[in-house]
Amino acid sequence: MNDLSKTPIFDEHVNLGGKMVPFAGFEMPVQYKNGALKEYTFVREGGAGIFDITHMGQVRVSGSEALPFLQYVTTNDVSKLVEGQVHYSALLNESGTFIDDITTYKISDSEYYLCINAANRLKDVAHLNGEAKAFEVNVSDESDDTTLLALQGAAAQAALQLLVDTDLEKIGYYKFAQLKVAGANAIVSRTGYTGEDGFEIYIPNAIAVDVWKQLLANGAEPIGLAARDMLRTEMGYALYGHEISDQVTPVEAKLMWITKLDKGDFIGKAAVEARRSEGPKQRLIAIKLTCRGIPREHYKVFAGGIETGEITSGMFSPMAGGVALAYVKPEDAEAGELSVEIRGKAVSAERTTLPFVRSNVRR
Amino acid sequence: MTIPADLKYTKDHEWVRIDGDIATFGISDHAQEALGDIVFVELPEIGRTIDAGEAYAVVESVKAVSDVYAPAAGEVIEVNEELEGEPEKVNSDAYGAGWIAKVKMSGATLELMSDDEYNTFLEE
Repeated sequence: MNDLSKTPIFDEHVNLGGKMVPFAGFEMPVQYKNGALKEYTFVREGGAGIFDITHMGQVRVSGSEALPFLQYVTTNDVSKLVEGQVHYSALLNESGTFIDDITTYKISDSEYYLCINAANRLKDVAHLNGEAKAFEVNVSDESDDTTLLALQGAAAQAALQLLVDTDLEKIGYYKFAQLKVAGANAIVSRTGYTGEDGFEIYIPNAIAVDVWKQLLANGAEPIGLAARDMLRTEMGYALYGHEISDQVTPVEAKLMWITKLDKGDFIGKAAVEARRSEGPKQRLIAIKLTCRGIPREHYKVFAGGIETGEITSGMFSPMAGGVALAYVKPEDAEAGELSVEIRGKAVSAERTTLPFVRSNVRR
Repeated sequence: MTIPADLKYTKDHEWVRIDGDIATFGISDHAQEALGDIVFVELPEIGRTIDAGEAYAVVESVKAVSDVYAPAAGEVIEVNEELEGEPEKVNSDAYGAGWIAKVKMSGATLELMSDDEYNTFLEE
């Protein structure tokens, strides 16, 4: 475990009874002393859950050609962003498959900020640096200097408001502000990965523990990776390495809504267009078990008794039961008779719609 | 939590209460603590014959699926059906309401420890 990184919050996690596990090169809390179910419930039922997600990476892109560069390396239409707006996007290979899924923040016409997945950080940064050579642009990996906290749940705004000098009410969904948190420069966006209202807070490492403690003092409770995964799976949000990878394109992953084929050329565009016209190789569907059981990643899915694919994320949802996302053969995506193999037995399932439970994000 | 003196324990952190030729099985408090919130228990079928050390049940926490191994051989005569609706009883009362199955013993057992021996085992 010696080569694992620790976030600036590490000691706080341990003091709070955090069960630390290796995750994307970091030692991160999978849960705290009350357990994942109580943490999950706290976020869903009106609390303010605080998540240390410092393992995620941040890249600042600046320069006169920042816009054309990002139009070329990401899938979403960056020209549609206004200052202070964020959107979900992706980096693709020439083959149209995912290098990563990201969020892009527009700071100004010549400056953008990307949030990337921890496990893909080195790959992403190498890719961006390689492509940047053809543009007047500077790519700066700020991950090591930045602490990222997510504050999620109905009480998030009230807990954070006490720490900042800006009226958070003015920050809309998928909008952000550059403001002072505990006296230091920060980026605060109304974004998240839980389906609840809340914020993601980018701060310098030096004030990380101070902000963490102040948020706890304001009633926030720490939430570990296990509850985070429950919350995101209930929303049907994709997770790299599960629903998306370098084996699937946005056509399979139902992410054409962030892939703007009409915006001009970008890496992977031709391959995505080809895949779209020939049809997806598999389709991502949402299913729900109709009998007792918990569908889990890699369990096989059957349609009419014949194997058709496998689960990419599955869980026991306290609100919705056994639910899962799965890739199946395109011809079975509308199949009526589905089942999941659990320990050798077929457990019947049905198609359902996302999200698995109601989203409370502020639209 | 104190480790009950009237039970025996295995190195896999299962407990067994032996009463004549009837044995009741469960998992130890240490085991439930390590697993975290239990959200599903798969019980064995009544009438099934199991060997000592055989996986006879499955407990699933939020993140993990774990086999539960029989401390003793025998035929399953009763299962704790309440765990189908309330699997969290394994967490809240591992040595009581969280019992999993009862078997009519046929002889063989795993190496069993007393409460003191199990406590020492946990400390090692």
